[in-house]
Parts: sequence; C-alpha cells; structure tokens
Amino acid sequence: MQPNLQTEISQLLEEAGKFAQQGKREKAYRYSLKATTIAPGEPRGWYIRAQNAPSREEQLMCLSHAYTLAPDHVETKQDLRAAVHALVKQEPFLAYVYETEQFYQVRSGRDLLINVPKDRTFEVPYLKKKPGLAQPAFRWLTFALVALFLGGVGAVLFAPVAAFQALRLQASAPTDGERTRLLIVFILAVLVWLVAIPISWLLLIRFYPV
Amino acid sequence: MLVRAIYLCALWSAISLLTTLVMGSRLRRSDSALSFLWLTGVILAGNFIAIFAFGRLLEIFGLSLLAFIFGLYWIIRLRDWNAPAQITWSMTLMTTGLFMVYTFLLTAFSPLNPLSFVFALIFFFLEAITLTLALAHMHESLDVVCRVRWHRLLEKLEPIPGYLPMVSLQVPAYNEPVEVVEKTLKSLAGLNYPNFEVLVVDNNTPLQATWRPLEEICRTLGPNFHCLHLDQWPGYKSGALNFAVTQTDPRAEILGIIDADYEVDPNFLNELVPAFANPQVAFVQTPQDYNDSTGDVFSESMYRGYKYFFEVSMPSRNERNAIIFAGTMGLIRKSVLEEIGGWDEWCITEDAEASLRILKKGYQSLYINRSYGSGMMPINFEGLKKQRFRWCFGGIQILKKHWEALMPWAHLVDPENKLTFAQRYYYLVGGLGWFSDVFNLLFAFFLVMGAVFNIFSSPIKIRPLTDTVLIIPAVFLCLHILRFLWVLRNRLRVSMNMAVATMYNFFSLGWVVTLACIQGLVQREGVFLRTPKGTSASKAWHAIQVTQWETAIGILCIMAGLIAFGSDRNWRTLSLCILLIWQGSLYLAAPLYSLLSLNRETALGGTVPVQVTDQGKPVLEQLAARWVVAFSMVLIGAFSLIRFLPTPAGLPDYVRFLPEDSSSAVALSPQQSAGREPGATASPVLTTAPETPEMPAPTLGATGATATVTASSANCRARPRGGAERITFLYKDQQVEIVGRSDDPGNPWWLIKIPDSNGRCWLWGMTATLNGSIEGIPITSERGTAGDSQ
Repeated sequence: MQPNLQTEISQLLEEAGKFAQQGKREKAYRYSLKATTIAPGEPRGWYIRAQNAPSREEQLMCLSHAYTLAPDHVETKQDLRAAVHALVKQEPFLAYVYETEQFYQVRSGRDLLINVPKDRTFEVPYLKKKPGLAQPAFRWLTFALVALFLGGVGAVLFAPVAAFQALRLQASAPTDGERTRLLIVFILAVLVWLVAIPISWLLLIRFYPV
Repeated sequence: MLVRAIYLCALWSAISLLTTLVMGSRLRRSDSALSFLWLTGVILAGNFIAIFAFGRLLEIFGLSLLAFIFGLYWIIRLRDWNAPAQITWSMTLMTTGLFMVYTFLLTAFSPLNPLSFVFALIFFFLEAITLTLALAHMHESLDVVCRVRWHRLLEKLEPIPGYLPMVSLQVPAYNEPVEVVEKTLKSLAGLNYPNFEVLVVDNNTPLQATWRPLEEICRTLGPNFHCLHLDQWPGYKSGALNFAVTQTDPRAEILGIIDADYEVDPNFLNELVPAFANPQVAFVQTPQDYNDSTGDVFSESMYRGYKYFFEVSMPSRNERNAIIFAGTMGLIRKSVLEEIGGWDEWCITEDAEASLRILKKGYQSLYINRSYGSGMMPINFEGLKKQRFRWCFGGIQILKKHWEALMPWAHLVDPENKLTFAQRYYYLVGGLGWFSDVFNLLFAFFLVMGAVFNIFSSPIKIRPLTDTVLIIPAVFLCLHILRFLWVLRNRLRVSMNMAVATMYNFFSLGWVVTLACIQGLVQREGVFLRTPKGTSASKAWHAIQVTQWETAIGILCIMAGLIAFGSDRNWRTLSLCILLIWQGSLYLAAPLYSLLSLNRETALGGTVPVQVTDQGKPVLEQLAARWVVAFSMVLIGAFSLIRFLPTPAGLPDYVRFLPEDSSSAVALSPQQSAGREPGATASPVLTTAPETPEMPAPTLGATGATATVTASSANCRARPRGGAERITFLYKDQQVEIVGRSDDPGNPWWLIKIPDSNGRCWLWGMTATLNGSIEGIPITSERGTAGDSQ
C-alpha cells in the first residue's frame, strides 16, 4: 500500500472511531464504508463499519470480513459470535459452504455468507495425515509379522529389511520421538527375526525330515 | 510331565473357579491369611485327586510349589480382590500358559507336511490370542464381582454450594419425530439446575416439516432453549456437534450430550456438575438406560446386554480411570474438548474416540453408576444388528487410529502421551475384544472342515488331536460359560434363564461383529450396514431374511456335526458333534431373536420411531460377507492342497520332543484311555481316520527293525488306530521287534511282536523310536492278537 493511501485510511478510521465514540453512528459508518472501499484488506475498517452498520445482515458480513483478515482479534471474534447467535435465534437455518482450520463458512437462511470461528485446536483429519518417517520400516515390520504367522521364513527375510530401514532412516529423523520410534522398530525387527529363526527351522525340517 | 502339569493346573483352576462361582460374590473381605489358606486348600484339593489319578508324588509336589509361589504373587498384586478371585485368576493364568506351551510343542514337533505345519501354526496363534482375550474377560468379571475395595466408586455427588458453572446441553437430532424430541426437551426443561442452556442441533433433516416444529418448541420452552438446523453438513453427527460448540453460550464451561429420545432425571446436572470442581476431571459418564425393556424375551435380553457394559466393563474401567465417554448421559468439559480439537469426524464412535484423546492428555474421568435418564432401544433385531455393526466398526477405527498410543513404548515415542498402563490395556483389550467373534467364526469353520473331512474319510492332517487338545479347551469353554452366566446373574441381578437369554443375545450378534471387524480393517471411511431387503410381505419371513447368513452358518454347523457323528459313531465324533451343535446354536440364536423381536415390534406398534443411526456409506451385508466367503474358499483350497503334498517317508527325529500325551492318558485312567492316541486323528480339528481296509495279510517274518518305547507307558492295540481294543501295555525303554507297519508313513503304527508271547499288537509310532530301516518292513493291516505266553 502506498504511504499516502495508508495515511488517508488511517485518517478515515480515526475519524470513524471518533464519531463512533461520540455516538454519531451514521457518520462513523460513512467513514468506515469509505475506508473499506478504498482498502478492503484493512480489518479495522470492517470492524468499525460492523459496529455502526445499519442492519444486522451488514454487521454480520463486515464482522466476517474482519475476522477473515484478523482471526486473532478477540473483540471481532466475540462480536461475530454474538451476531451469529442473534441471527440463529431468529432463523436457525445454516448451510455448510466450506471450512478452514480456523473457521466455518456458512450460508444463512437469508443467503448471507458468514464465517464462524472454530475456537479449537486444529487436528489434522486422520485420512489427511501424512505418513510418518518410520512408515517404510513399519511396513516391512508388518510384513515380517504376517510372515511369522505363516511359518516364519518370510520373517527371516523381512525383519532384517525392517531393521535396515529403521537404521537408515535414523539419520534423517527430525525429532527425538521419531528417532525413538525407529529404534523401537529396529528392536522389534530383531526380536521378530530371533523368533522367526526357530519357527522357520521348524518349517524347513519338514521339507527335509531327518 | 507337561501334560500332567496341565491337567493338575486345570483341576486347580476348575476347583477354584467353581468355589468362586459359589462364594466369590458373598465373601466381602480380603486378607492375606485367608487368601493363603484358600490357596493351600485349592492346591491340596487338586493334589488329592491328582495323587489317585497320576501318582507321581514328586512331580505333584514340585508343581504345587510353583503354583504356590505363583498364587502368592497374585495375592500380593491383587489385594483388592477376595481370596477366591485371587486364586482363580492365578490358577487360570497358569493353566492357560501351560496349555499354550503344550499346543506350541504339539504344533512344532508333530510330523506334518509343510503346509499342514503352516496351518497348525496359524491355528496356534489364533488359539493363543483367543485364550488371552478370554483371560481378559475373566479378569474383568472377577474385578467387578469379587472386588472388596473400590477406590473410585461413587454412587452420587453432593452439590457444592456456590459452584454452579454454566452447562450447555446439546441434543443432536436427525430426522427425529417431533413428539419424541419434544418429550426429551420437556424433561430437560424440568432440570433443577439453575444455569444451563439447551441447544437442539438438527443436522441434514431433509424436510422442513420435520425440523421446523422443533424451533417452535424451543421458543415455548424459554430463552435458554435454542434450535439450530444445519443443512448439507459434513461429518455426520460429530460434524454437527463440532459446529454446535461454536454456538454455545460463551459462558458455558461444561457440555452435555443428550440423545433426542432420552428422558432425563431432574437431578442430572445438580448431582453430576460438582465433579467438575476438580479441574483435572474432563468428563463424567452415567449409565445409559432404556424405558422399553420389558414385555418379551428379546427386549429383556437386549436390555441386559446393554446393561452389561455399564454394570461390568465401566466399573472395572473406572477403577483405573479408563472409562469410555459414551456420548449421551455424559458431561464433558468444554475447554478440554476444544483443547483436543473437537469430535473426530472420521470415526463413527466419536465419543469413545474423544475419551481416549482426553485421557492421553492426562485428564481424569469419572463414572457414576446411577441412571439419570432412559431412552429407546432398537425396535427389532435388524436395528440391533445395525447398531452393533456401528459400535464395532467404530471400535476398530479407534484401534486403527490410536494403536501406537496403546503400545508399551507409546510414552517413549510421544512424551505427551500420558496414558497409564491400565488405560492402554483397557482400550487395547476393548478394541481387540471385538475380534473374539471373528475367531469364533474361524473355529466354527475349522470344526465344520473337520466334520466334512471326517465324513469323506479324508486323511488331511493339520494337528494331532490329542486328548489334551480335546479336553482342556472343553474345560475352558465350560468354565468361561459358567463364569459369564455368573457375572450376569451377580451384576445384573437376573434369573438363570434370563442370564442364558442375555448370553445368547450377545452371541447372536457374532456374525455382524465379524463383518464389522473386517469392514473396519478394509474400509477407509465410515460405513453402515444395510441388511437384505424383504421380498415378502410376511414379517416373519423378513425377520429370517435379515439373519440369513447366521441361519445358514448355524444350520451348516449342526448338520455337519450330526452327519459326522452319524457316519462314524465314536466318542470323538460325538465331541465334534456337540461342539458343532454349540457353535451352531450361537448363530441360530440370531434368527430366533429376530423372530422374537416381532413381538416387540407388534407391542410397540408405532410408538417407537425407526431410529436412524446410519453414518457413512452403506455397505450391503451380502457384499460385506464376500470377504468371509473368499477367505473360506482360500482355506478350503489350501486344505485340499495339503492332500497332494508328500508326507515324511518315516517318522522324523524331532517327534521325540512331542509331549507324552498318550502315556499320560494311560496313566490318568486306563478306563478312559481307550481311543485316545492322537495318531489316528490328525485333522483340521477333529477327524477320525477311516477304518483300515481288510487286505490279504502278507507273510510277516523278522524284519531286523525294532522299536524302543519312548513314552513312559504305551498302549498296544488290536488295530492301528486310537479307538481299537487294547491288547497290552509297553513301558519306557522296552525294545520290541517290528514285524509290520501301517500304510500311512506320516502317522505310523508298528505291528510288533509282544515280548514273551506269540501275540502281535499295534504300537503308535509316536510313542517309540525306530531302530533300523523302514524299507524292509512290510505294510500290513493284520489284526493284533494277545497270543499265548511263552
């Protein structure tokens, strides 16, 4: 944003805030409307405009804008929540549009698009979770375990691969937890291999009975 | 020795369990001296019988000493249990452990071809997992019935003056009849707690006529009742509840979930909210109750089935702060729900899943075993099937998502995982417990295969069917059934008939649980079961149709058992038949209950709405069953393949490591020993070998080969099979001359010359080692004779 434009917006918002404090809501609204028209990316403009908006619908729309631009602004969130609450009290219909980590976008019964803050820790959905670093090692370990159930010979082959993978990935492990996980895969692979040896021997002697 | 040890332990286990069934629930004290005396008494009682049965004083003494030390360890560990429970647990654990060792040795050292060995190994692992799960069930039963000291048991919480945090009660609804929700809302309006709001969250109900009246009802009930209709909302119930949290009053500290068909006690909040005065308590759960539980066997047994979880599993879990948040009739701290990221929209049992994430953060949970409300049960067996499918599917989803957090090393990988050992144990066993029904179906399959091979006299072998393999599982089965009935009677206060009806209600759902387990493993997203649609106007026919798979499996089991026994009448096929009838009855309980549920449908008429719990994509039961059918086909194919693989030409050396089962059977009771040699019955589970056809006997002379008896004593019989008439005994290290052999080198029988006699008899190859070459020994089917003493 150019410096003179920035100055102009600051002045407009300052004026709007002053009028709002004086209870001259109409003037405050006009100034904030101008500010949001000139600089739609300025959250303060939307917030002041919402406070002085002539209708509940416009207030909600402005608060949604303000919230989208500054999701951490506590007052915006509080006002938005109260506004949605009041809207729902009148018309309980809300249709899903989309959601982000921080908010839902819904369409009200009066066709308003509203952003509703989630206010909760974001947890990556299970199906969208990226596989961990240890996944290839785990995969081989799973093969080894299944093979152990099926006579052990496969486990004798797969368990060392799992152990090797675990060792190989150790160097690129970004966290202590990941390193520990790989170490555990390594230990489990060794254990599976040790169990697989006698079991596969029991299988093999059936091909060549003494 | 191992076999004798198993029998002795099984004896101790049976004595202690039977005394527990009689006295376990009455003895309300626990002290070390009493436990010590109880342990001594059980061991001595077992030993008294064992001395007459086995002799072997030194062995009995040694094993008693071990059992005593083991028992003392558990007496110290389980101080909150009474003496019968402590001893029952330790003896059952010991028997199970020894039996697993035995079955492993039998699997490892039986002369089987490679494919048979692989099957035997799979069977061993299945058996081991099933026995471990049975132990877990026993632990839970003893824990709730025989516990004398409860550390976290609370019947009711007293209100704390001045502590009245705001509660937001959420009532999720989907296509619910207005009158049902209205009843629920009116009961909520009667709550005697001053600071709460109610938020009706209707999600995706298509018709305005269904949900609009809810808005009006909320208006009439007052300003703290709100209604919210969410349209085209993703994430099903949990998606809607997640959004609902954003619409709760900002002052609300506690959230409550109330199903739309629940009538709530006015004291619900007043008596539960004080639990949250402790900032560590994140959620509180109370039992879910039902108001339409009487009138017919189906309703009553279904009701008891639900109660089992809240009367047995939850109190046991609560002692270790490992309860499950069951959704309705529970309260949860809002800040904690926000901290964990809300309800999981992938898992179809989002409430149980959330409780695990909460406990992972180190919070406390609390279970108050007092009913504060009642709802409606499924109207018929079809509804029950669908509901159980959903619960099991959700349980498997939780295991898939959180398995690593439940592993012993979890806290090393993730230091923020604060689950205790007990919490990990309960959640892991709770998830794996669903697979019991999968294993049960597999065992039924193995039994049916055994019967089929027996009917067609097929020599397919998987594992030798020794006496121990037959007797000990039968003992386990009987004891666990008795234990289950005992816990039902004690905790649910029901008659024996109702306990049996409840037990069968559980078992009747085995098939649908199996399907849910498989679907849970193979599906990425949530699905719900769609049962076959009725093609007839007859309600009875439809009731059978929705259980067509269970009916087919049940009939198959019973027919296979009866035909197997009819075609070859001996005590082994009788055992097989009894086992198959038992298995069949478990599956046939489904059509029976489905028919019985018609009474419920008729009695309730239109008063109960059809509950919609469908979440996710539909999966047809027929399509879900294809996995089971395909797996069965693979197994049948593999069994058939075994026939074409060569068996060892002679008896391999490694059979010397086999436990001496036949000898112990002889020692146990000569009267019982007839027909017990395992060699004649090596099959998938149970088959007896065909009668050896009569053939012209070749001239049998000296072969140069001898056999040395390795078992402590061995029967020598008239024919080369276990059930044949016994002619004489042979003793350990006795060397006898071999004059002929049976035609099955994988399961050899030697026709031997009876020492000091001109008679001949058949000695089972696994009780002796061959000295010399098998080549020169002629194959024969000659009948043994006692001969005259020389």
